[in-house]
Amino acid sequence: MLAVALAAVVPVLTLLVRALADEWRSPAVVPQRFGTRGVRDAFADAGGAAEAIANSLTVAALATALAVAIAWPAARAIGERRLRRPGVVWVALGLPALVPPFATGAGLSEWAIRLGLADSLAGLVIAHLVPVLPYVVLILASGFGAEVRSIEEAGAVHGAGPLRRLVGVTLPAIAPTLAVAALMGFLVSWSQYGLSLAVGGGIPMLPLVLVPFVGSDPQVAAVLSLVFLAPAILAVAVALALAGRRAGPAAVV
Amino acid sequence: MRRLPAGVRTWLALVPAGVVVLIWLAAMFTAVRSSLGVSRLRGWSQASTDAYGALLDDPLFWEALWFTLRITVVSTVIAAVLAVALAAALRRRGPVLRALAAVPVPVPHLVAAVLGVLWLGPGGLADRLLGGMPLDLVRDPAGWGVILVYVYKEAPFLMLVVLAAWGPAVAAREEAAATLGLGPLRRLGLVVWPAIRPALLTGSAVVAAFAIGAFEVPLVIGPTAPETLSEYALQAGRGATLDGRALSYAALVVMSALTVVVGALAALGLRRRDA
Repeated sequence: MLAVALAAVVPVLTLLVRALADEWRSPAVVPQRFGTRGVRDAFADAGGAAEAIANSLTVAALATALAVAIAWPAARAIGERRLRRPGVVWVALGLPALVPPFATGAGLSEWAIRLGLADSLAGLVIAHLVPVLPYVVLILASGFGAEVRSIEEAGAVHGAGPLRRLVGVTLPAIAPTLAVAALMGFLVSWSQYGLSLAVGGGIPMLPLVLVPFVGSDPQVAAVLSLVFLAPAILAVAVALALAGRRAGPAAVV
Repeated sequence: MRRLPAGVRTWLALVPAGVVVLIWLAAMFTAVRSSLGVSRLRGWSQASTDAYGALLDDPLFWEALWFTLRITVVSTVIAAVLAVALAAALRRRGPVLRALAAVPVPVPHLVAAVLGVLWLGPGGLADRLLGGMPLDLVRDPAGWGVILVYVYKEAPFLMLVVLAAWGPAVAAREEAAATLGLGPLRRLGLVVWPAIRPALLTGSAVVAAFAIGAFEVPLVIGPTAPETLSEYALQAGRGATLDGRALSYAALVVMSALTVVVGALAALGLRRRDA
């Protein structure tokens, strides 16, 4: 039990110490001097890290929002078992998730040039939809089903119009699944490396900006890794909150 | 408003997602086309499989192919075995401990690789704590650093997948088997394995496909030689010549085909069970 808890906390702690260690010569296990040199250098204008973080956030947020909107009707149809051949749909959605995003991106880059979307955030958002959508559909579909259907029908019987049913009945019923789907979609987009490299041309994205620092300046790499890790920490917090709520105060561990 | 027939509405519901699948198909079409040497400068009449011939003749490509497959198979098998062990250890524990064990799942692969370098590199934390490393895992030509990062990331993921399939219904059947006098090993083989097999197979296919195609992990913690397939494709395309471009796309098409084969094998494995 202790081992599991340690394994969960040590990575973040390592990055935190490395990010704040202005001086950490070998073979010392504890840094000689703490400071904020790494933070200052990471966000100095030349590195472009601030812009890269903003770009990664924008692309992930837009790709996730679009993916949820696109996935919604398909997830409903799948969740309510309205498809005669669900296998065909799963193959069509599964292949884009399975095939390397770098290959997808290389193919898309030619289209992006032709359509004038090369080196643009719009091009990146469209490209990120390809790996993001399958996960969002898969998770969202698990939330729809006969139960949601029947409370919607109850709402209709009581005279709620389509919009009121959506806001007052469907959304609250599906909110936890929707949150997990959106978080997953965001993480998939946020973590893309090869896809952004292939499609984005010269646009700085967080993972692309981070890699060179691993060799040249581990302290800056640790600072940027912590930023890169932030959504994952949020995801773990959500998972722990859900786990705690499900288990109740007793017998949580 | 007149309502459309149910069948038509179901199909309409799939149209937006279908558009995204079409975008992916267009990307794959372009990749194949470019691998055949077709571009705006060279039309379809000049399409050829020269790039694939060049791949087969290039010893660096074969090295990259074997290196990629080795990393993929070794990391996926270790992660799958570890996942079953973790699931067995944690399934009677509470959800909080499970959530803690699943912490590496949302961590980006790149961050896991950065952690790998911080801990395992020369002068890294393990080196300092142990006063010397018995073996070099960072930039190791055998790829053990890459494998370790994949196992750290994928074993907890597969554990979640296994736990989802190893629910109370299976536990009840296990108890029934125990009262019939079956030992723990035979219960695992006869009761648990058939229940978790489809989930583990699907999850392993996802993990293996990722390892075949990703390159942020080999880039950060892997050796400069041998390369993985994606690094090979990137290098081949760097030259900005038409032949280099076709070679790069050919490598990407081979890589994509490998992931499709992995998916097909998993699907076959699932089907054999159903029959």
